[in-house]
Amino acid sequence: MKRFTCSGCSLLCDDIIVQSDGLFISEVIGACLKGKERFDLVSAKNRIISPLIRKDGELKEASWDEAIKKAIEIIKNSSIPLLYGFSNVSCEAQDAGIKLAQKIDGFIDSNASICQGKIFNKAKSLGINLTTITEIINKGDLIILWGANPAETVPRLLNKVLFSRGKFRMTGREIKTLVIVDPIKTASFRVMGVRDLPLIIEPNKDIDLIRMLKEECCTANSIPSQGVAGIDKNDLKRLLLHLTGAENGVIILGQGVIQPHPDYDLVEELLELLQMINKRQEKGRISLLIMGGHFNMAGFDHVALSAYGVSGHLEFKHNQMVKTEDTLVSKIEKEDFDSSIIVGTDPISHLPHSLSSKIAKKPLILIDNHSTATSHIADVVLPTAITGIESGGLAYRLDQVPIELNKLLNPPNNLPSDEELLNQLHGLLNKGGSE
Amino acid sequence: MELYKFLPKTNCKKCGKPTCMAFSLDLLQGKVKVDDCPPLLEPKYKKQYDALKELLGSEEGQQKELKINIDDKLCDGCGICVTVCPVNARYCPSSLSGKAPEYPPEEHQLFQVIGGKCELLKIEHCRRLDAEGRERECRVCETYCPREAVKIEYV
Repeated sequence: MKRFTCSGCSLLCDDIIVQSDGLFISEVIGACLKGKERFDLVSAKNRIISPLIRKDGELKEASWDEAIKKAIEIIKNSSIPLLYGFSNVSCEAQDAGIKLAQKIDGFIDSNASICQGKIFNKAKSLGINLTTITEIINKGDLIILWGANPAETVPRLLNKVLFSRGKFRMTGREIKTLVIVDPIKTASFRVMGVRDLPLIIEPNKDIDLIRMLKEECCTANSIPSQGVAGIDKNDLKRLLLHLTGAENGVIILGQGVIQPHPDYDLVEELLELLQMINKRQEKGRISLLIMGGHFNMAGFDHVALSAYGVSGHLEFKHNQMVKTEDTLVSKIEKEDFDSSIIVGTDPISHLPHSLSSKIAKKPLILIDNHSTATSHIADVVLPTAITGIESGGLAYRLDQVPIELNKLLNPPNNLPSDEELLNQLHGLLNKGGSE
Repeated sequence: MELYKFLPKTNCKKCGKPTCMAFSLDLLQGKVKVDDCPPLLEPKYKKQYDALKELLGSEEGQQKELKINIDDKLCDGCGICVTVCPVNARYCPSSLSGKAPEYPPEEHQLFQVIGGKCELLKIEHCRRLDAEGRERECRVCETYCPREAVKIEYV
């Protein structure tokens, strides 16, 4: 039976069996709860299937022409539009979004910039090697989860990297050692065996552990007897042994390490530690896997890189890219924008109130497929097809591997895909500009 | 040895074995039953008899029925049980590398993730019923479930 790629999370499992009659999905086999929910979205109650516009303070259904006209009006009346989102859409739509931003002199950014994009950029500048899932399945022998809880965020990740048997070794769980560094005992701790190393660290003390390991890697055998950051001395010795003895280790970084701190950069110090270990190691290496949430979180950096040579946010003035020091957060904080186009995300519930209230004040165009907190305050809501089920496209998996998503069903009301809609807006603005 | 502790230790040979030690070894392998030891049935050894019955509950499949319960509220369909189950691994090659097994399922297959939840298809081929020796004590699905949704019980 043909296997289908799931777009529920950034793992993009390509082994899902979907039974469908072309109109509805009857059975989803192999997908986790997160994936099942993505497939359920097709006929979910909170799905938006017709455009909405705000009239006299209330959101009302409107025709496509009306809604698009209103959207164009908002874009034309604004000088610095903010384009944000783009992690729940295909790479093609991200490309169309960048083109639209160029046309309207906007500032474009994706969810990755306040999430995992930071680690990707740091790893690239430091030259840390990234690894792929297949590589870990086949060769991995040490898996470190630092501030990551895949058992609850990316459910099938542990199944794939820890329990699967590789091609060259017919053993799975037996040869792989799991190390978890986390301040709380998460669900991922429950898969640990006797040989594994659970490290419950005191909150905000990660930096002490990293700095100690950095010293120890060079001098060895002077671990403080009282331990570091709430971790026992013997556990530290075992950790050092694992770090320096692994042949094909992988460190999986999650949301826990990306919180910014005024005095130091945790991600940078952690990656420098990896670099140090890899330099000292003769036979092995430790590589990096970035655990994102949204299914195409890694994609925007790649699209922006191939289009403009810059990963992360882009700013345009007079249809040209300009160098900018601004980030999404500083841009919103300074209120240096006068309208926003949100694509496939929900900043009103994701961002803190100090930022989301500033977004809510300005005119907002939302391009999404289901109702969220953002859709309730938007001025125009343009519904689209669900990428990965109702429209195809390219998406980058969490290990930076491009995977092609396929179309399975036709969207209700002939909804356009994100890419088509963004291109339509771009085309209409082009026409308006020449008149 | 644990079983031996609860036997009368009189070496009375009423069960047909030379010593109580030999009886306990056979008991462990499931060759004899607790009821085969006549002195144990006497009221004097009632306490030890009950303790033995409880200890051997898992070995005596005829008296208690094996149940693998999967809590639907806790399960999130990660598929770890599908991958680690040795019976699944033997009969569904795709589950070896963490992939979802074929559908419709293979005859021997125990677990399959359907609609985001793990389902127990059939229990007949579970190692606890269908294997010999140490393999009968298999508990991997219960041990490695990160949500503690899988429970092996005898009812």
